[in-house]
Amino acid sequence: MLFNSLDFAIFLPVVFLLYWFVTNKHLKLQNTLIVVASYFFYGWWDWRFLSLIMFSTLVDYTIGVHLAKADNQLKRKALLWTSIGVNLGFLGFFKYYNFFLENFVSAFSFFGMEINANSLHIILPVGISFYTFQSLSYTIDVYRKKLAPCTDVIAFSAFVSFFPQLVAGPIERATNLLPQFFHKRTFDYTQAVDGMRQILWGLFKKMVIADNCAIYANDIFNNSADYGGSTLILGALFFAFQIYGDFSGYSDIAIGTARLFGFNLRQNFAFPYFSRDIAEFWRRWHISLSTWFRDYLYIPLGGSRMGTRTSIRNIFIIFIVSGFWHGANWTFIIWGALNAIYFLPLFLTKNNRKNLDVVSKGKFFPTLKELTAILLTFGLTTIAWIFFRAENLQHAISYISEILSPSLFALPDLLALKDYAVVFVLISFLIFMEWIGRESQYALENFGLKQKRIIRWSFYAFLIFMIGMFMQTDETPFIYFQF
Amino acid sequence: MKNFLKDILLFIAFAAIFYIIAIPVWRSGMPARFSPNINYLLGAYGHMFSRMDDLKTTDDIDILFLGSSHAYRGFDTRIFSKNSINTFNLGSSSQTPIQSNMLLNRYLDHIDPEVIIFEVFPFSFDSDGVESSLDIIANDKNDLHSFLMALEVGHVKTWNTLIYATYRDIFNLDASFSEPIERGKDIYVKGGYVEKDLAYYSPDSFPQQEIIINRKQLRQFEYMVTQTKDNDIKLVLVYAPIPRENYLSYTNNQYFDSLMTSYGDYYNFNDILTLDDSLHFYDSHHLNQNGVVIFNEKLIDILKSGLE
Repeated sequence: MLFNSLDFAIFLPVVFLLYWFVTNKHLKLQNTLIVVASYFFYGWWDWRFLSLIMFSTLVDYTIGVHLAKADNQLKRKALLWTSIGVNLGFLGFFKYYNFFLENFVSAFSFFGMEINANSLHIILPVGISFYTFQSLSYTIDVYRKKLAPCTDVIAFSAFVSFFPQLVAGPIERATNLLPQFFHKRTFDYTQAVDGMRQILWGLFKKMVIADNCAIYANDIFNNSADYGGSTLILGALFFAFQIYGDFSGYSDIAIGTARLFGFNLRQNFAFPYFSRDIAEFWRRWHISLSTWFRDYLYIPLGGSRMGTRTSIRNIFIIFIVSGFWHGANWTFIIWGALNAIYFLPLFLTKNNRKNLDVVSKGKFFPTLKELTAILLTFGLTTIAWIFFRAENLQHAISYISEILSPSLFALPDLLALKDYAVVFVLISFLIFMEWIGRESQYALENFGLKQKRIIRWSFYAFLIFMIGMFMQTDETPFIYFQF
Repeated sequence: MKNFLKDILLFIAFAAIFYIIAIPVWRSGMPARFSPNINYLLGAYGHMFSRMDDLKTTDDIDILFLGSSHAYRGFDTRIFSKNSINTFNLGSSSQTPIQSNMLLNRYLDHIDPEVIIFEVFPFSFDSDGVESSLDIIANDKNDLHSFLMALEVGHVKTWNTLIYATYRDIFNLDASFSEPIERGKDIYVKGGYVEKDLAYYSPDSFPQQEIIINRKQLRQFEYMVTQTKDNDIKLVLVYAPIPRENYLSYTNNQYFDSLMTSYGDYYNFNDILTLDDSLHFYDSHHLNQNGVVIFNEKLIDILKSGLE
């Protein structure tokens, strides 16, 4: 079920009313409703893959219980590796089997050895990368004794399958989300209204910004050989805003929806395009994934404590693994590596934790230095996005080569520019709103709260109007569903 | 919680009013490209405006034609007149059963035909009906039937355009509009037919495709069948000729034939007539005037023998 669909517009109020009016007196009943609703939400796409979630849930639940009982370190390790093996095994099979097979075949063929291996027609279960990581965080934290094992299978199932963030995150930590299933939820007017505001802003970013940018980004990337460098730059810019609107929009809707049910999910995007360097960008983009890799991969590998050489290795590992997490394609691996290369100078000069606060805090305009840093960071990010969006490495390289050709200095097709103008206006509106709200959790969190209700409501109604006026008329899935 | 639900309901009402007011204000004040989801097609391709204008002065007819451009470019009312049959062609661009049903609801009492010929084309049964809804909303008056049609189509463009068209209706903003009878190679003929200058089609190949019937469209079609029965009107279903290659590209024509046959008198002219793709069509879908004459004369023969 898509957040931007009529189905969800019916599903959400029904579950909301059942949750607060029918099951509100019993926590267990509320959790059961969440599980049923979440399975229904997921099964709407493909009910066959529900068994995968259920299996993963049962395995990690059982392992968690046994981890608590086991004193023997060897046994504890075996249990942990069983959980890692099962979760990553599923992920590896569904997401990476064909990639590895094809690359092995190519590698052997390179050395003159022909292997007959048939790739399988594998359908990638929606959200598998998200819920396996969420579930894994639980077993690792229980293993590390940071978290008591969960003995309530319903609450644990609700944690793994919680529908607002099941298919595209934020990837919640068991330490944050799981305890919330054990506390009685009381309806909070302010929190619910805040949730509605965040949902509205998320829908705007997805349906107005991302989907409109997608038209031009898709056109330019799919026909890149027909365009000159200046138009290809526009294509990369459109994709930068498409992916931001799409993914951060999803996160906003997920967080807002969770708020309606009395849950607090972690912030996943903190205005990343206002970052002044790449390190800051990665502290603000897909925060739940970056911190997951930091806590469960980078730090266990030694982080930055084991000397420069190991630190550099670790940096490359997490960026490349993070890239590979996005998809079984060399383009994602290069995208990750490129970001590591961007990051490295900051790390080596110890400037990677320079910009920890919000840019131009308390001021309306940034300084020229800040603006330059923001634009430079955005430019570097946008170049990296070309690898992320390209069909394959050859496509990415030819795309960048064309940008670097003399056609860069030719004006983009003016006729097309007239159409682009609308999207530029929409993007400008997004940037303005996000800039104003950059000190909040999301752009609308505190926007106009001191104004009279009629003014606030008019603004929210205007956003709805903009959605009605600019939304694409076919339901478009979120990009991150494919990861 | 009570306050939350009350505020949500109030806000929905407020946002709905805001939306309805904002549509004409925005559309009137901004360049058209800033309102991509309002598609007000007044006097657009297909002469729908002239047809609806013509309909106001038409009554007591023998046969009413309904359907897509295959209908308004395929049933020449003049040929039927020569055979002493009064007809009106209420076809419109990409008309689907949703729109046919809506037009019947709106005009059946006024036209009161003895026979309705409904042009059935598989694509119409698989279409979302948006294009045709926009055509009708812009070129005809709007009332409760338009609202019900928008509800059935369920598309944001249809809703936005209906709101905008209603505003124009209320303030009579299109009163001075008149559509030229001749536009490009098309000439509007009294009675709803549109004749194209004689041209010939260069046959092309088509990818294989399957006829898919949309449940929503089929339900509307069934309403129409029931409505004609209830009003003692004879319903004739006609699959107008299309170029052979196009027709044969559908892999399950037999399925469509048997489905249509189950609803009443059905004539598939792709089987009844043997036409030449390069002589009797002007494009991949439409008969040229030579083809129209052959098709209509054959249809009249069938109708006469059938009606007798």
